[in-house]
Amino acid sequence: MIDAGTSLAGKVALITGAASGQGRAAAVLFAHHGARIAIADVNDAGAAETVRLAQAAGADALAVHADVSRHDDNARMVATTVARFGRLDVLYNNAAVQMSGRLVDCTEADWDLTLATNLSAIFWACRAAVPHMLASEGGSIINTASVLGLIGSEGYAAYGAAKAGLVALTRQLAVELAPRIRANVIAPGSIDTPRFRKVVDDLADGEGFLRGLMQHVPLKRLGTADDIARVALFLASDASAYTSGCVLPCDGGLAALR
Amino acid sequence: MSTSGSRRFAGRVAAVTGAASGLGAAIAARLAAEGARLVLADVDRAGLERVSAAIAERGGAATIAPTDVTRDTEVAAMVGAAEALGGLHVLVLSAAVEIRRPLVETDDTDWQRVLDVNLKGPFLCMKHAIPLMVRSGGGSIVALGSTLGAIGQPGYAAYCASKGALVNLCKQAAVEHAADGVRVNVVSPSACDVGLFARVAEQSGRAEQVKAMVASNVPMRRLGTADDVCEAVLFLASEASAYVSAAVLPLDGGLAARRQ
Repeated sequence: MIDAGTSLAGKVALITGAASGQGRAAAVLFAHHGARIAIADVNDAGAAETVRLAQAAGADALAVHADVSRHDDNARMVATTVARFGRLDVLYNNAAVQMSGRLVDCTEADWDLTLATNLSAIFWACRAAVPHMLASEGGSIINTASVLGLIGSEGYAAYGAAKAGLVALTRQLAVELAPRIRANVIAPGSIDTPRFRKVVDDLADGEGFLRGLMQHVPLKRLGTADDIARVALFLASDASAYTSGCVLPCDGGLAALR
Repeated sequence: MSTSGSRRFAGRVAAVTGAASGLGAAIAARLAAEGARLVLADVDRAGLERVSAAIAERGGAATIAPTDVTRDTEVAAMVGAAEALGGLHVLVLSAAVEIRRPLVETDDTDWQRVLDVNLKGPFLCMKHAIPLMVRSGGGSIVALGSTLGAIGQPGYAAYCASKGALVNLCKQAAVEHAADGVRVNVVSPSACDVGLFARVAEQSGRAEQVKAMVASNVPMRRLGTADDVCEAVLFLASEASAYVSAAVLPLDGGLAARRQ
């Protein structure tokens, strides 16, 4: 049974990076809770599959091709969403790139792409979306940062800087857009998604890496895409009506230990 | 009280401190409405009986446990009351006192009283409750912090210190007992239209003016409500937050984002 507090009935949600992993899990969960959903991604085949899953959950859903590292794609995905559904209530900025590499090895191209995708994209998307949110009933912006935006970690100079910048941007959005629009951050820890698995599989000793990682996760497991989706649902819905400018870690206690 | 229609806590036992009034009473009522069997703890026995009767009237189940959370033996008895109901899955630490006094005017008695109720109380409650939670297959602890645990506010030296310390106590408990299946999180409300702030506002004799003034300083331009707090506490108490531990969830209409 769906808790009335987390109902999204009548609402329209735009989720970026929704062709797989956390974005897809959120699309399906939001669909189950009554939202109409726009699924933005560079991966058209994955986005089409997420649309199918959201429709199977009873939702009206739409795939929108968008490379969020490009300024114009952000404006277009918002316009396409509003043209199809007539409004926008929830903007869930989930898309991101993660490239590891120590600061001295980080190329300018990697730096620019990371900052564009993980920080500027959210600025562009919010700037396009906010007028539409204000034109109806206001709304909720959810930005996916990372525990690496809160703590340091070897090899994530660009990623950590972008995610910390996103935390600061979100606080600014929260203060500036209140009272009608709320803006909050989810800070995931290590989440067991296809992208995470690929990173692990590419390592020489993936299993050893996972064992080492678990020593730093108090709950002693990886998070799941569904763990994050349920937090996103809370932040998207009226269950969190008085929460704005918040950074909610969903990391099995990782950040507190570090 | 909002009725959600869901019963996320069917078959669960929940203990709530500070349950005789204000936010604690509202949280207890919501947990009961969603199927939990309640242990209601407070120093105010008459208040507990009123809350318990109101829960029973709506078909809920509640046991009262008159408890001073600063006393070890009384806290142990409260946890014993939960054990008699079959275990403990949710603990909400809501009991708190607020003394409005600048640091240099805060005497030892005031200081000790605030630290005892707001910090030592949660310590004793967790100390006695966690072993039972572990035996019950794990659980979730939600402490009521405050915006004043993260930012300073003139005139609240002891209160700010107690809530700031509570946050790190909870983080510590969270990392220490995560592997046991116990999650610990903090909900940090700013001024709400029920509870300690509301009581202070009423005592001022110009409650509406005081509330309007405080609300005008909040980005969302309103005070928190019991419903806001209940939704946040139940989210953290439920499986919806299964991978969230050692977190602080502000419930402040964006206030702290502007002040940090």
